[in-house]
Amino acid sequence: MTFTSWQFGVFVAVVFGAYYLPPLRHFQVQLLVLASVFFYAFGQSELLALLLVAVLGTYLFLVLAFRNRAIWMPAGIVFNLALLAFFKYKFLFIDGASAQLTGATPVDYLLRLPLPIGISFFVFHNISLLVDLTREKAPPRLADVFLYIIFFPQLVAGPITRAAMFMPQIAPKRLGDVAFVEAAKWIVAGYFFKLFVANNLNEMTSHMAFPLYEALRTQDRWLLVFLYSYQIYADFFGYSAIAVGLGRLFGYRLPVNFNLPYISASFSEFWTRWHISLSTWLRTYLYIPLGGNRKGAARTYLNLMIVMTLGGLWHGASISFALWGMLHGLLLVIERPFLKFFRTPHPAVQVMRAGAVFLCVTMLWIFFRLPNFDHALGYLHGMFVPTNNPNPTKLFYNLALLYSLPVLIQHLGAGPIVAAKFGRWEPYLYGMLLALAYLEAGPEAAFIYFQF
Amino acid sequence: MPQMSTAMPWLVRCGVTAGLVLLACRIATPWIDAGLQQPAVTARDGSLITFNRYVAEPKPVIALVGSSVSWRLKEEYFSQASVRNLALAGGSPVTGLAIVAEQRELPKIVLIETNVLSREADDALVEQFSGGKAGPTLLRPVRMAVAAFELWNHAPPNAAQAAAAREQLLRQPPSDFDNRVYVERAVQQMNAEDPTAVARANVARIGKLIADIEQRGSRALLFEVPFQPETENTRTASITREIVAAAFPDRNRWLHIEPVRSELRWADGVHLDERSAQLVARSIEQALATKIAR
Repeated sequence: MTFTSWQFGVFVAVVFGAYYLPPLRHFQVQLLVLASVFFYAFGQSELLALLLVAVLGTYLFLVLAFRNRAIWMPAGIVFNLALLAFFKYKFLFIDGASAQLTGATPVDYLLRLPLPIGISFFVFHNISLLVDLTREKAPPRLADVFLYIIFFPQLVAGPITRAAMFMPQIAPKRLGDVAFVEAAKWIVAGYFFKLFVANNLNEMTSHMAFPLYEALRTQDRWLLVFLYSYQIYADFFGYSAIAVGLGRLFGYRLPVNFNLPYISASFSEFWTRWHISLSTWLRTYLYIPLGGNRKGAARTYLNLMIVMTLGGLWHGASISFALWGMLHGLLLVIERPFLKFFRTPHPAVQVMRAGAVFLCVTMLWIFFRLPNFDHALGYLHGMFVPTNNPNPTKLFYNLALLYSLPVLIQHLGAGPIVAAKFGRWEPYLYGMLLALAYLEAGPEAAFIYFQF
Repeated sequence: MPQMSTAMPWLVRCGVTAGLVLLACRIATPWIDAGLQQPAVTARDGSLITFNRYVAEPKPVIALVGSSVSWRLKEEYFSQASVRNLALAGGSPVTGLAIVAEQRELPKIVLIETNVLSREADDALVEQFSGGKAGPTLLRPVRMAVAAFELWNHAPPNAAQAAAAREQLLRQPPSDFDNRVYVERAVQQMNAEDPTAVARANVARIGKLIADIEQRGSRALLFEVPFQPETENTRTASITREIVAAAFPDRNRWLHIEPVRSELRWADGVHLDERSAQLVARSIEQALATKIAR
C-alpha cells in the first residue's frame, strides 16, 4: 500500500475518521499502532513478526537500561545494528539465489527473507529511543514506544524523528486542533512533486539504467543526470511532505526533511538542507560521539569521512553507495579550511558557489542511480566521449524542462513570494496543483527511498 | 472547532478549483484533434499512441505485430499507406495480436514477427484496448501543449517528402558503426536465457488467435526479421526458431523475406538500423506481393 495508491487514501480516511471519534479518544495511540501494524502487514506481512521483534526487543533493552544504562543501552544499540547488518548486508557474503545456503533450515529461512521495508528507518528510531529516553526517570509506555517507531506516515522512509522530539507529543488529540490548511498544503505539494515531477522524470531517467544508457547521446547523458537530480529531490521531498502532512492530520509534528538543498553554497550547508532528519541523526548519534570537531582538525576530518562513508553504506551494501558517501565526506573535508573566507560573499560569488555545489552533488547522484560500480563508471565515461550510435534515444527537452520546472521555481524562492504577495490566491493555486498531479501523473513508480 | 471553521473556506476553494480544472479537461478531451497525440517519452509510449490510433481509426489493410525487432519497421517505410505497426518495444507479439483480435473489424492481413517470444503478453494492455476502447479519457494539458508545439515545430513530412527522404537514405552506403561491444553483450545475454516455457505458451496462444482471426476473414502470416549472423545461432534464437517451426510447419503460413544480407546493419546485433529497416520493409512488401499474386 504505497502513498500513491487509492487503497492508501481509503485507509487514511478510515483511520482519520475513527481517530477523532469521541468514544475512541482514550485509545488514539492504540488505534494508530493498530493502523500502522495493518499498514506494514499490507505491504510485507511475512516480515511483520520481525518488526514486532525489533520493537519489543528494543523495549526490553530500554527497560533494562533503566537499571544499568552502561550495559543495556549499548547492548540495545548492538541488537538493532545487528538486525540492520544482517538484513542489509547479508548478500555481501552469501549468494541469495543459490539452492543451498548453510544447510540449516531456520538459518536458510532467515537468510532468504527479503529486506524488510523501512528497516533502515525504524532501526534508527530504535537507537534514538535507547539513547534519548534512557536519560529520563522512567521508561515510557509500550504503546507509546510502538507508536513512535511504527507510526505509519514515517515508518517506511522517515523522516527520522528523534525520540526526544516525538514522545512529548503523545497526548490526546482533538479534531478542532488539527491544522487542516497546513496539512493540506504539505499533502498536495507532496503528491504534486511525486506524481507530476518525479514520476514523469522517472520515465526519462529510466534510460540511465544499464544497458539502456548505451543508446544515449553524450549531451543526453548530461541532461539525464540533471533530471535525476531533480527527480530524486522531488521523489523524496514529495514523500517527506506527504508524511509531514499526514502527521499533522493526526496531531503530530514530524521534522521537515528538506529546505531547498540545491541552493546550498557549500557542502556543509547542503547537508543541513538535504535529508535533514538523517543528517541530524548522524550528527547527534555518530559525529558528536566520535568527537565531532572538538579534537583538532585531523580528527574532525577523519570523523567527517567516517560519518559520511557510513551514511553512504546505510543506503545499501554496494561500492557505489560507499563511494558516494566517501566522496561527499571528501568534499566536506576539502571545503572546510576555505569556509572562513566566504563569511560575507558577494551575491555573484554565492551563485557561483551554489552552482559548483549543485554540479558536484548532481554528478555524485550517478553512483546512487547506478549502484553497480562498473555501470556507474561506464555511464560517467560516456559523458566525456562522443557517441555515434545510429539509433540514439529520443528525449523531449521541452517536456524535461516542464516537468523539472516546479523544482526550479521552488528553489528560486517562489513559495515565500506567493505566500506574501498572492496569499489570497493560495487555495486556487493548490487546487490547480492537485488537479495537475492527477491529470499529468507519470507512470507509477516506487518511491526511491523505499528501497533503503 | 476553531481551526476547522477557518480552514473550511480554504479547503473548499482548493477542492472546487481542482474539480473545475478536471471538469474542463474532461469536457475538452473530445474536442482535441485526434492527430494531436501526446509526445512519446519512451518506446512504450509510442506504442500506446499507435494502439490508440489503431483502435480509433478505420482498420488498415495490413497490421504488423511483434517485438522491438519489428518496432523498428516504421509505417512510413512501407510504400502502402494502409500499414499499421503494432509491434511493442520490450513486449511480446502476442500483445499486439490479441489487441487486433479483440477488435470488431480486422485488417485483411496480419503479419506476425516471431523473432522474440521470450516475453509474456501484456494482458493489462490487451484489456485496456479491447472492445474498441481507447486510451486516456482526460486531457493532459502539459503533454498536449508540448505535442502541439512539437507538431508545429516538427510537422511530419507529407507522403512525397517522406518518400524522397527514404530514397535519399537508401542511396547512402550501409553504416560503418562499430557495434562489436553491443553484439558481444547481446550474444552473452541470448545464450544465457532459456525461452522454452514462455515461447511455448506464446506459440500456443498465437495459434489460437490465428484460428480466431482467420475464421473471421483475416489472413495471418508469420515472418522472421534477420538478425546479425553472430546472434542468429544463440541459444534464445535457436530454441525460439525450433518451437515456432514445430508449431507452424506449413510453408504457406510463412512470409519469407529476402533482403540483401550484405546491405543490412544492426545497432546491437538484433535491432536493425534505419536504412536496414527500410530495406527489410521493402522485402516484406515484395514477399507479400508475390504471396498474394499466387
